[in-house]
Amino acid sequence: MTGTTAGLLRVTRSTLASAALIAIVAALAAAYTSGGGASRESLIAEMLSNFILVLGMQVFIGNTGVLSFGHMAFAQIAAYTTAVVGIPLVAKAKSLPDIPFGLETVHFGPLGATVAAVVVTMIIGGLFGVAVCRASGLAPTMITLAALFVVEQLVKNWKELTRGAGGLSGIPRLESDVWLWVGAFIALVVAHLFQETRIGRFAIATREDELAAPALGIRLFSSRYAAWVVSMGLIALGGSLRAQSLGSVNPKQFTLDSGILILVMLVVGGMRTVSGAVLGTVLITAGNELFRQLGDPQRLDIERFPDLFLGGAMLLAMLLRPGGLLGDRDLAGWMRRRMYRRPPPSGETPQRATNALVASEIEVRFGGFVALDGAGLTVRPGEVVGLIGPNGAGKTTLFNVITGIVHEQGGRVMLGDRELTNAAPVDVARAGLARTFQNLRLFKNLTVRENVALTALVAARHRRHRPRPDADTLLADAGLTDWADRSAGNLDYGNQRRLELARAAALAPEFLLLDEPTSGMSDQESQAMVDSVRSVAARIGAGVLVIDHDLGFITRISDHIVVLNEGRVLAEGTPETVRANPAVAEAYLGSSA
Amino acid sequence: MTKLIQTIVDGLGVGSTYALLALGISLIFGVMHLVNFAHGELITVGAYVSYFFFLHGGSWWWMPIVIIASAMLASVATELVAFRWVRNSSPFTLLLTSFALERLSHAFWQIFVSPKQRPFPKPAWVFNQFKVAGVSFEVMDLVTIAVTAITLALTAVVFKRTLFGVSVRGAAEDFDAARLMGVRANRVISGAFAFAGFLAGVAACLILMRTPAAEPSMGSDWLLKAVIAAVIGGLGSFSGAVVGGLVLGLLETLTRAYLPEVAVGWDKFSTAVVFVLIAVFFVIRPDGIFKVSHAERV
Repeated sequence: MTGTTAGLLRVTRSTLASAALIAIVAALAAAYTSGGGASRESLIAEMLSNFILVLGMQVFIGNTGVLSFGHMAFAQIAAYTTAVVGIPLVAKAKSLPDIPFGLETVHFGPLGATVAAVVVTMIIGGLFGVAVCRASGLAPTMITLAALFVVEQLVKNWKELTRGAGGLSGIPRLESDVWLWVGAFIALVVAHLFQETRIGRFAIATREDELAAPALGIRLFSSRYAAWVVSMGLIALGGSLRAQSLGSVNPKQFTLDSGILILVMLVVGGMRTVSGAVLGTVLITAGNELFRQLGDPQRLDIERFPDLFLGGAMLLAMLLRPGGLLGDRDLAGWMRRRMYRRPPPSGETPQRATNALVASEIEVRFGGFVALDGAGLTVRPGEVVGLIGPNGAGKTTLFNVITGIVHEQGGRVMLGDRELTNAAPVDVARAGLARTFQNLRLFKNLTVRENVALTALVAARHRRHRPRPDADTLLADAGLTDWADRSAGNLDYGNQRRLELARAAALAPEFLLLDEPTSGMSDQESQAMVDSVRSVAARIGAGVLVIDHDLGFITRISDHIVVLNEGRVLAEGTPETVRANPAVAEAYLGSSA
Repeated sequence: MTKLIQTIVDGLGVGSTYALLALGISLIFGVMHLVNFAHGELITVGAYVSYFFFLHGGSWWWMPIVIIASAMLASVATELVAFRWVRNSSPFTLLLTSFALERLSHAFWQIFVSPKQRPFPKPAWVFNQFKVAGVSFEVMDLVTIAVTAITLALTAVVFKRTLFGVSVRGAAEDFDAARLMGVRANRVISGAFAFAGFLAGVAACLILMRTPAAEPSMGSDWLLKAVIAAVIGGLGSFSGAVVGGLVLGLLETLTRAYLPEVAVGWDKFSTAVVFVLIAVFFVIRPDGIFKVSHAERV
């Protein structure tokens, strides 16, 4: 399958899924408005602009898992941009007599105003996103929260440009609600397409595991930033259309509370999928309206019951279905699986990699504690090297130094003639070292095939010079073919281990680095693991560096064994020589042995 | 000079209230990785309880005890009905759960009392002024700073000297290890919620003495500032929460007082400037002033 047809297929699939979803929503809306009444029409208009905002949030929050409170700030920027360039000149001269930047002579039609809003918002939001996407942990959430208040304060106080808290009116209204439907459809296609692109898949991987994704060659920043920028575009579209649908803007439309309404729509339906976002929008809009009617307008009740409903819906969702009603079920995903055709195996004979992995004289101190004191090892191409030693010997630290997670204070790491000393995990992975984790870091909400296919995507981009095994061959080798469409989190423990191995192999690495691949396995399973590791390594022509506690496993699998003790190499050699070494027995089993 | 001293005292007054709230948020984050957006609702609970007691002849002599007790009860109750059931979920789920509780609390007071503000009397001495070396202070400034200092000292003693405090700190460091050492998860977490409630109750007393009125969404503004203070300090760090609260309070009052002098015509943007500084801070130091490293195995 060539790249172009694959791309065309993705566009077709996204468009079909979007058309199906919008048809369902339109049918529901038609049924609702057939009862008549202008208020019903305006509820649908409100829902449609929310719909676009929800999808805008889904692209960032849903795909990256980073919570943002600030999206409404950017919707507000878009709405005000629309107003400032869209209000006719005479009206503008009256309401904004001191408008800066020479805007008093600028007037765009509806399409021009919408495009201007999207462009302005994407520029401001894009600059801002650099800060959001570089940070980790809770900082991005806090930065977006601060952004929300900054924009709110600016809008309220920069009266020359915004007319302050009272807002602006006189924005030319949309000629017809059809434009809202068009906007919603565009948003659906964009959100679907984003999840089909490589960078979108990468963003999803970072959501699933912030540590495993870079260790497999996925850069956190670029994938998140792409999601952010696309998300800004949709948010701007939603904000601009809302302004044009209502004919006015004011700061009350874009408060933290209104943002939370959008967030509830997203999480109740299921933020990870576009279908979930759509379902949530429809359900929350309907529920909100229902509860609004429960209130008694005479008693100032109007605002109360929707709060009760929103809080209740969110609490129930979190307690009962934290992934939202749909979880990972998704129309587009279902279509993707139905349309999946296994590509023909490449049939390339794996040639053995030619570089050696050499770590020498590694020193690592944690405060006063010396974890590694000049340890080093060499793994020759295609060789299986076992790394053993008692607890606290520095095995995992050495592993983490080689893969870039821990920085060494002294020593070098080389792959062939490429220097990897203190390289970032993502660069180490792209250079050809793929690792697994001691306590399993799979992309749990993705299917088994997607776990492997994701790394294959990285390989297609960054490891072109190596023959790449296709995902299905690796899954077949691991005995996971029957589970390919299940979510990875539902596999049993042994299969999860095998999947992690297959996922690392899909990177077409020169070396597989396996951190305790048999921990928690029975003897029988660990015997089977020896064969799995050997066959996978042979399939991709890679060498292996493996840590394990299980001495039997290590001696069976290794060509060469390195024994660490107290941060230094105690002994090394073939399994037989190492076994016969009395110093090893003493370090490993204690002096009583 | 006089202005500077007064501004600083004001800043410390607001900041110490932030600090008390931030400490509670940091404490809860430490034991269960929850950023508790429902924490501010404890102030609201205290306010409505005061309102009801004042309707039936309450007095500020014993009202603080009632406020603190009700905040503690409410805090423990949120853990029992909601947080306990999502304890091992992702931080995202935990945070949204607390957001849901915040919404429900707003709705509860709106529906069962009124969306309107309900005022009650303030202590007579609150705004009395006194002068030290030509600088005039309000009695309440002094009370706020003194009460906060005592509460923080008490907190330090509890966390350094009592078995409960040591268990909580251990749990904050590494819950699994603490469990193996015989720390009981339910008890530690309930205790942490009770203590966070106590701190919020003290903060509520200080807030309500100044502005004695109950309103459904009154907790939210305080909460946002307190969350920001806690994250500035470094979530999970107790001294960080206190420093973060004081820094935020000082930053707010100083910008409000001095920004117009530095940049003419900018007074209306003082709040915006504070938030810009906060955003810049998080870009430079995403983990806060006191970075807390959590035991995470790779």
